[in-house]
Amino acid sequence: MDAYFYIILVVGLLSSIICVVAGLLKKAPNDTTILSVAAVELALLVYLGGSIVRVASGERIAGESWEFWGYLATALILPIGAVYWSILERTRWSNFVLAAVGVTALVMAARMNQIWY
Amino acid sequence: MEEAENVSANSPHDGTGNPAAPASRTPGPADAESADTAPAETAAPGTGATETAPATTDTRNTGPGRLLIAVYAIFAISATARAGYQILTKFSEAPLAYLLSAFAAAVYVVATVSLAKPGRTAFKVSVAAVLVELVGVLVVGALSVFDSVNFPHETVWSLFGRGYGFIPLLLPILGLIWLYRRRPARRDH
Repeated sequence: MDAYFYIILVVGLLSSIICVVAGLLKKAPNDTTILSVAAVELALLVYLGGSIVRVASGERIAGESWEFWGYLATALILPIGAVYWSILERTRWSNFVLAAVGVTALVMAARMNQIWY
Repeated sequence: MEEAENVSANSPHDGTGNPAAPASRTPGPADAESADTAPAETAAPGTGATETAPATTDTRNTGPGRLLIAVYAIFAISATARAGYQILTKFSEAPLAYLLSAFAAAVYVVATVSLAKPGRTAFKVSVAAVLVELVGVLVVGALSVFDSVNFPHETVWSLFGRGYGFIPLLLPILGLIWLYRRRPARRDH
């Protein structure tokens, strides 16, 4: 597990906790929850940037490289999709949808780490 | 019951004080609040019918239903990707397990789409898909436990979905509860 994973671990868990708490407090998605999901997206973009640099500088991905990029691409789409889905219906349930993003990103980052090493 | 179907835009639970209500579309937001407090669909057929019957026709994709659909969508994507990967790269290792993966993926896709679509047909398709999913996770889960020699390869449903935090086992149960609570009103001819 590398630094990218731990960044996503922290950001993803924080985002999920924030969104779950907001959902439990019966709040609709607001700046706080949406920005926390945006932070997950940012963390994933950092992972993307870092990975491109590492591959460009000659590092090899141990597993299937297209599987790694597939995971990363899917993970990058998730926050955007979840925010879109949550804006369509602004109820507290949408916060639970947003909460799913952080945890899913975390699982996917763990898998990406496994593929890389 | 019959006439009740036609007034589905009539938001039934406005008194619940959901702060999000003004912000969005027709019946959804107001009902989301009441969804976890068991709307009186079954309890009071006489008095509650005109109020709650509309909510049972077209509102499976609001409130908690949205979370359900989102989780199903995540599983549809991940199961499809995984099955595709398994079949493309190492199909010959375990054809049965990987075909099962593909089948599971298809079930998740059908469930996701049908849960998101309004209407009776979509409801029936959802029920079928979720039931197949439940049977699948139970049968494959049991087989992978008791006959691990023939089922050594991972699928979403192996070991009752342990690799996915048992969500595959939980999901169809929650799905059936949700579908039951938002079942379409009976047609009385």
